[in-house]
Amino acid sequence: MQKRYHTAENIIFDTIVYLVMFFVLVVCLVPFLYMIAVSFSGMKPLVNNEVFLWPKEFTLESYKTIFTYPNFFHAYGNTFIYAFGGTAIALVMTSLMAYPLSKTFLWGNKFFTKMVVLTMFFSGGMIPTYLIYSSLGIVGTRAAILMPFAINSFNLIILINFFKGLPNEIEEAALIDGLGYFGILRRIVLPLSTAGFATIGLYYAVFFWNDWFNALIYLKGSQYPVMLFLRNIVNGTMAIADGAGSAEKTTMAISLKSAVIITSTVPIITLYPFLQKFFVKGLTIGGVKG
Amino acid sequence: MAKKAALTAEEKAARKRSAKNHFRRYWVLYAMMVLPVIYYIVFKYLPMVGSVLAFRRYRPGMGPFGTEWTLRYWERFLKDPAFWSALRNTVITSVSNLVINFPIPIIFAILLNEVRAKKFKKVVQTISYMPRFISTVVVITILNELLSPSSGMINQLIVACGGEPIYFMNQSAWFRPIYILSETWQFTGWTAIIYLAAITSISPDLFEAAEMDGASRLQQIWYVTIPSILPTVMVMLIMNVGHLLSLGFEKILLMYTPANSGVSDIIDTMVYRVGLAQQNYSYATAIGLFSGIIGLILVTSSNAVSKKLTGESIY
Repeated sequence: MQKRYHTAENIIFDTIVYLVMFFVLVVCLVPFLYMIAVSFSGMKPLVNNEVFLWPKEFTLESYKTIFTYPNFFHAYGNTFIYAFGGTAIALVMTSLMAYPLSKTFLWGNKFFTKMVVLTMFFSGGMIPTYLIYSSLGIVGTRAAILMPFAINSFNLIILINFFKGLPNEIEEAALIDGLGYFGILRRIVLPLSTAGFATIGLYYAVFFWNDWFNALIYLKGSQYPVMLFLRNIVNGTMAIADGAGSAEKTTMAISLKSAVIITSTVPIITLYPFLQKFFVKGLTIGGVKG
Repeated sequence: MAKKAALTAEEKAARKRSAKNHFRRYWVLYAMMVLPVIYYIVFKYLPMVGSVLAFRRYRPGMGPFGTEWTLRYWERFLKDPAFWSALRNTVITSVSNLVINFPIPIIFAILLNEVRAKKFKKVVQTISYMPRFISTVVVITILNELLSPSSGMINQLIVACGGEPIYFMNQSAWFRPIYILSETWQFTGWTAIIYLAAITSISPDLFEAAEMDGASRLQQIWYVTIPSILPTVMVMLIMNVGHLLSLGFEKILLMYTPANSGVSDIIDTMVYRVGLAQQNYSYATAIGLFSGIIGLILVTSSNAVSKKLTGESIY
């Protein structure tokens, strides 16, 4: 067996596989490492285009600048509000819908499931949605971000499938012991569904954390999250710093931009590897079968 | 006859009793659904009803459903060259995106599965997911920096090799390649999860038998792996075709510049521009509804094809 494995063809094949994998690693990491290097680099090497993957003339200046910049701090706080508040509301609403829908014996189960599935393939469109939300009076308030995205139908179906896979016997025993369905959901189903909640919780958190477009059309300036703040710096709607000359100004902007990118991306990037084993499972349960 | 009628009456009574029992037993479950169902009606179905605005004239302050019936917006956009150009851009960009970014995750998953060093495999996999978690704003900002004509890494390389710096983000010719490659970067690792799951569910006996028969690694891929994941590939292809019209609108909006608008204006950006920026609500609704209906037709027909060919359906 060992002999057959080490044929010339297989060795070439292995080499190619590893080369491809190294290429993938480099391509995924380099843009990020570059931004880290830029954000920690001093002005001079940046102006002379000397920074590559390692910071030169290490300095924390750009981080100090953005953290003293009140707009950034405010936007960063807003992002936390949307990510935590939005995800919490979404998890409650999604489980309130998913649990009854996982009980196929309920009347109207098919009807309500169809009602959910339809929204995955057809939606009201940007303009009617905007007009309805604005006539509901939520445009210009934080509710415009916290409420409309409380249930994502894909996430709902992942959770329904997850609930369906839980063993029935425990629930039946709890019913006989006199526990109501709310009690069962809270004390039995939720603790058993950590993997399911980790999966969709991550999806919701990533959505709220990264969203900028809904913030752009529904929110006022003081409510903007950090991603919209970054977009406004990039397209020049908002000036971030006053440098002396114009060359210095753009260079400064680059290091500040990278500092904003790093501070706003690191929380979510440090979160996902811990949840990896959950969402891989969640995606394969809910993804195709949907 | 009379007996039968009596029986049905009895049956009716029994059913009524069982309905009563059913609700007495399960009312909590129905109660749980009340809030979410209201949510669906208000935030998802009301905007759908709001699509009638495509056939109605909008007047400010007169409600989101418009005032009187009219077909003028349909006549207008069907004659609008900007609409046809947006439709063409949408189709060209999404078809080329599908052609390139559909096979890449499959190839990546197959090759990743061939990595024998388990730790290394895990590291590659974890890192390949990372771009999926990065906001489009960040992706486009990084691209702007990397591709910047004055300070970007790529252009420095070009200049170092004796070339002229290229204004990547501002030229129509570069718009589609950059969009498609950034999608590759963001979603290859993520999409590969589904194929990797399909590959790991192949029975190891098949590979052992193939190895016994003297199949090389490449032959094992060709004769065992690929045929085994073909159903998954089919389902994914059909789902992708169904969502052909829904491009990464937010990313395209961020990449949109007046200089590349000839190729970067897709239907969604046009709806945004005409509707929210110019406040031409009814007109933009008509365009949006048109593309929504085409999308619905694509999804339902590709799902029907899938049911017939593979027995798998997505709903």
